[in-house]
Amino acid sequence: MFVYVELHAHSAFSFLDGTSLPEELAVAAAAAGYESFALTDHNTVSGAMEFAAAAHSVGLKAIHGAEVDLEDGRHLTLLVVEPAGWRNLCRLLTLAHARTREERTGAPVQPPMLALDDLLGHSDGLICLSGCAGHGVGDEATLWRLRESFGSDRLRVELQRPYLSGDRAHNRRLARLAQRIGVPTVATGNVHAHQRSRAPLQDAFVAIAHHTTLDASEPLRRGNFSHVLAPPRAMVARFPEFPEAVAETRELAARIDFDLRVDLGYRYPGAEDPATMRRLSELCQSRFERRYGPEATADARVLRPRAEARLEQELAIIASLNLSGFFLLHHDMLELAREVAVEVRGPDSARGLLPPGRGRGSSVSSIVCYLTGLSHVDPVANELLIGRFLNDELTALPDIDLDFPRDVREVLIPRIHTRYGRERSALVAAFPTYRARGAIRELGKALGLPAGEIERVARASEGWDARRVGDDIEGAYPGRSRQGRWRWLAQLAAEAHGLPRHLSQHSGGMIVATRPLIDCVPIVPAAMPGRQIAQWDKDSCADAGFLKIDLLGLGMLSAVERCVELIARRRGERIDLSAIPYDDPDTYAAIQAADTTGVFQIESRAQMQSLARTRPETLQDITIQVAIVRPGPIQGGAVNPYIARKQRLREDPSFVVPFLHESLREPLADTLGTIIFQDQVLEVAVAFAGFSIGQAEGLRRAMSKKRSAAAIEVHHRAFIDGAIARHGVTEELAEQVFTMVRGFSGFGFPKAHGAAFGLLAYQSTWLRVHYGAEFLCALLNEQPMGFYPPDALVHEAQRRGLTVRPPDINTSGVECSLDGDGAVRIGLGYVRGVRREEVHALVVARDREGPFQSLADLASRAGAGAAAMELLAWSGACDGLARAETGRAHSVSPPRREVLWQLGIATPGRRVPAGVQLALPLELPAPPPLKPLSGWETMLADYASTGLTASTHPVALLRRMGRLPVDSITSVELERLTHGRRVRVGGLVVARQRPGTASGIVFILLEDEAGVINLVLPPPVYERHRLLVRAEPLLLVEGKLECYAAGGGVINVLVDRVGAISAPDQVVAEIRDFSPLAEPNRADEAAASAGTDSNGATGDFRAVAPAVMSFGAGRRR
Amino acid sequence: MSPGQRRLSVPRTIRVRAGPGGRPVSVDGRQVDSVRESWLIEDHWWTERPLRRRYWEIVTVCGRDEVVFCDLVSGRWWRQR
Repeated sequence: MFVYVELHAHSAFSFLDGTSLPEELAVAAAAAGYESFALTDHNTVSGAMEFAAAAHSVGLKAIHGAEVDLEDGRHLTLLVVEPAGWRNLCRLLTLAHARTREERTGAPVQPPMLALDDLLGHSDGLICLSGCAGHGVGDEATLWRLRESFGSDRLRVELQRPYLSGDRAHNRRLARLAQRIGVPTVATGNVHAHQRSRAPLQDAFVAIAHHTTLDASEPLRRGNFSHVLAPPRAMVARFPEFPEAVAETRELAARIDFDLRVDLGYRYPGAEDPATMRRLSELCQSRFERRYGPEATADARVLRPRAEARLEQELAIIASLNLSGFFLLHHDMLELAREVAVEVRGPDSARGLLPPGRGRGSSVSSIVCYLTGLSHVDPVANELLIGRFLNDELTALPDIDLDFPRDVREVLIPRIHTRYGRERSALVAAFPTYRARGAIRELGKALGLPAGEIERVARASEGWDARRVGDDIEGAYPGRSRQGRWRWLAQLAAEAHGLPRHLSQHSGGMIVATRPLIDCVPIVPAAMPGRQIAQWDKDSCADAGFLKIDLLGLGMLSAVERCVELIARRRGERIDLSAIPYDDPDTYAAIQAADTTGVFQIESRAQMQSLARTRPETLQDITIQVAIVRPGPIQGGAVNPYIARKQRLREDPSFVVPFLHESLREPLADTLGTIIFQDQVLEVAVAFAGFSIGQAEGLRRAMSKKRSAAAIEVHHRAFIDGAIARHGVTEELAEQVFTMVRGFSGFGFPKAHGAAFGLLAYQSTWLRVHYGAEFLCALLNEQPMGFYPPDALVHEAQRRGLTVRPPDINTSGVECSLDGDGAVRIGLGYVRGVRREEVHALVVARDREGPFQSLADLASRAGAGAAAMELLAWSGACDGLARAETGRAHSVSPPRREVLWQLGIATPGRRVPAGVQLALPLELPAPPPLKPLSGWETMLADYASTGLTASTHPVALLRRMGRLPVDSITSVELERLTHGRRVRVGGLVVARQRPGTASGIVFILLEDEAGVINLVLPPPVYERHRLLVRAEPLLLVEGKLECYAAGGGVINVLVDRVGAISAPDQVVAEIRDFSPLAEPNRADEAAASAGTDSNGATGDFRAVAPAVMSFGAGRRR
Repeated sequence: MSPGQRRLSVPRTIRVRAGPGGRPVSVDGRQVDSVRESWLIEDHWWTERPLRRRYWEIVTVCGRDEVVFCDLVSGRWWRQR
């Protein structure tokens, strides 16, 4: 007989009030001898499903509950006895979080808390414990009220022994109180860590939660480590005076009969409707004729017999798995999206020809999805196999992912809440976890380390693995990682690695249900108004059997739609992207030359290097291309053999592709004997090892898990035995094929996903080739997106001969647009720090009453505040106006100082409560002689105000100023040099990358005035120059030129020395307002908004350099 | 500390015989009659002087109420009060 059951424990999902993962608690509890264990996180059940699954796998009975906050700050512990209790707990937690976000501007926001009356109204199926030693309910009146609602059989007075002074007296008082109320006591441990090494982290978390340091948080901390999980017998020993309270833990645990994994009772809409199969079948048939019938294209008509067979096969599987409602629900949602798209795009938009969204992922392989509009790729024509998405042995609901343009998605999500009911739909949660940089900053602050030094370590950190923070410290401050508080920082960060930090919103997953979802999982408001999030992440939702629909926002879809709209407006051409030529020689020429900057997927540095070698010639090739630069094919060793064979075949069409075994010929034919797609893992397992499709899917799933090695090994033996039994192959060959399969365990695309993305890659390239200016304009307006910052997009377009012009007060719109001669004009909205509505007001004033004639005219009509006007002037938007006014139309130096001076006199509109008070249109005096802006200063002003420069490239300026050594060469000159030459090159950093698959090698993309340069930094070089590499925007490097024929002639510089280019930094202007009427700090405010210091428009290029892809941390300087 | 000033309640070393679980049995030769309370302090672990102390509030057979603690790092006993 077990002696004690823990009924009060917190995991890290209590967010800064618990330090162990639910899985760690379950495993540690089972190892310590517990047979039952409760997880009672603080105001959440976010870790419950993970705990249930982990407990089940180690034979532990999982008890579910939560610690809830009452309005007066006291805590109660609730435990679920039966399904009704879970429903009530979910409703209570939903109520507790109802006001945790701003519902409308100015509405009060409060932490999660529950009114006692709400709790009393939802007591069915729950056991209530009186709460923890520090914050529990200990007054007789409240306990009586709880007893009335929960009854004496479901209310217990909670005794804890945290080893603080006064514990025993407190417990004796509580025991007497319990006696008076007539309810038993129960002992609990209030566990916050599964092992002792994690306990200090709890102290640090308390300091972080209270925004203070460990030194200053003594009264708030626990004072000791008694909150670490203790074995049952040790817990019994803590309560020698209260054996009945210990016995009560067993009694309660025995009464609890609720298994979260099976007792949820979730159903998705349509799941129980018997007519859904017929409706789905009719829907598919009606669309079938359109796609493959007499009116279809000749190519499609040829496919008809195969398509019929495929539809029949899929419908049979759907019927056998009872999934017809699932498909109809998705179809319904897409129809809703269609309505939303019409609203968003407007009735006459050229975008109207485009579908509201499109499929991605494995669902693209389904003909049912194709016919119901959930996919835009014909699976029969593209020979996409269905097994990965849908098969007879499916145990979980399949995934359908839909991509939408951003503007459609924004409106669609709240509309779904409206359509299915706010109680029946929610977004899926995501839990960002502690990574190195966040851990260094938060824990460093808690430890009281100097802020500047913490920041230095954080910036130099690789950013991901918090277990390597010791190395980061060592890199920044050699010797410190083993000393004092720095040593603790490394230890605490390692302990915190991977723990959930807070609840956030998944990129697009949404769940819907027939019954109120808040009976299944608590729903909390999202940060974005109108949205709400379930407390479970996608894995928990999948374990719960929830139907999850991924509604993803895809920037490129938005950009493509903008581009189509722009072409229609400017040229009067309405483009239907589904009907463009898919064999366009110019498009393929661009792809083969890796001239793909800005297009979808095949634009990155790695993709460009690969394109030169693979030289795609068909959509099929592009499908492979988008899938090839992924961890799966790279780690599986598929990339080089595929490319080598592709090159051989191009040179010698009679070349015979080698296959390890004849049975692999069919599954791996398209990819020349290598595994590039996820579904090929399934096909190889079926064809070679005789796996059933369900078994094969099990293997694929095992490979996609985070810690997959052990899970894959389970399938290893079966694979080898299967191959030997089926084909009589040697064990050695079977192992060789399995090695190829196992190598694929990193992330990879299903072929269907590759086809969907490949298509968009082609379409975007086609637009870029034939409508370059419109495409660039669309990309600039859809930022942030893609691999390159706007600055690099602009420079690349200029090198292709496109004209890009800076913002201009009389020509620019709010967004980027095209001038009459086809040049791209940067929009006024690009000027940082200027409010959107101010720019809008300015454009409206101009459109209504004509162009601004002078600065005084501008100041009197703009409707923008003084700070905004100064920022616009500094960006060069008023240069044209000033030049026209002074008659110096062709002056070399932009007259920005003069403009600022005159605008200062004009005292343009001031903000008043009713809006902006306009200035009088008085004639302005001529400015005094002011020092003209140099080219460097102008460029700095451009970057500071818009993040890009459309005039001279910074590297060209530096070269002219002699800041680059005379022997340094440009990217164009590199092309004329031979392999092995020692070179010195300089440029602006466009991307820094250190892929996990590249054994520590760092890749940097530099840009100079003529093009881009690929740098390769071996690990020792990177380690030697880490800070320079991570933080300097302008680099000068030396190394060896590498250009291999097998590499498609791609040029790299293998770097051995790294330095920074010293920029001629100086203060270029001081924005000071000496007027007695000046608002305080107006100049400071203006400068600060522009991202500069208050001394003016900054002399430091580092401060204004464009944010670029940096070590997987997104774009940063 | 300036002359004439002295710190109050400075812990003083004592001789303690402890029983099972570290419970004091005698303090400076006086038998312990009962333990009124016991608590634990584990703090300042991030500093150069981490604290790990098990405190006991005891009543000796002669009727004195004392607070003693065992420094769990050094193993030495001290009287707090």
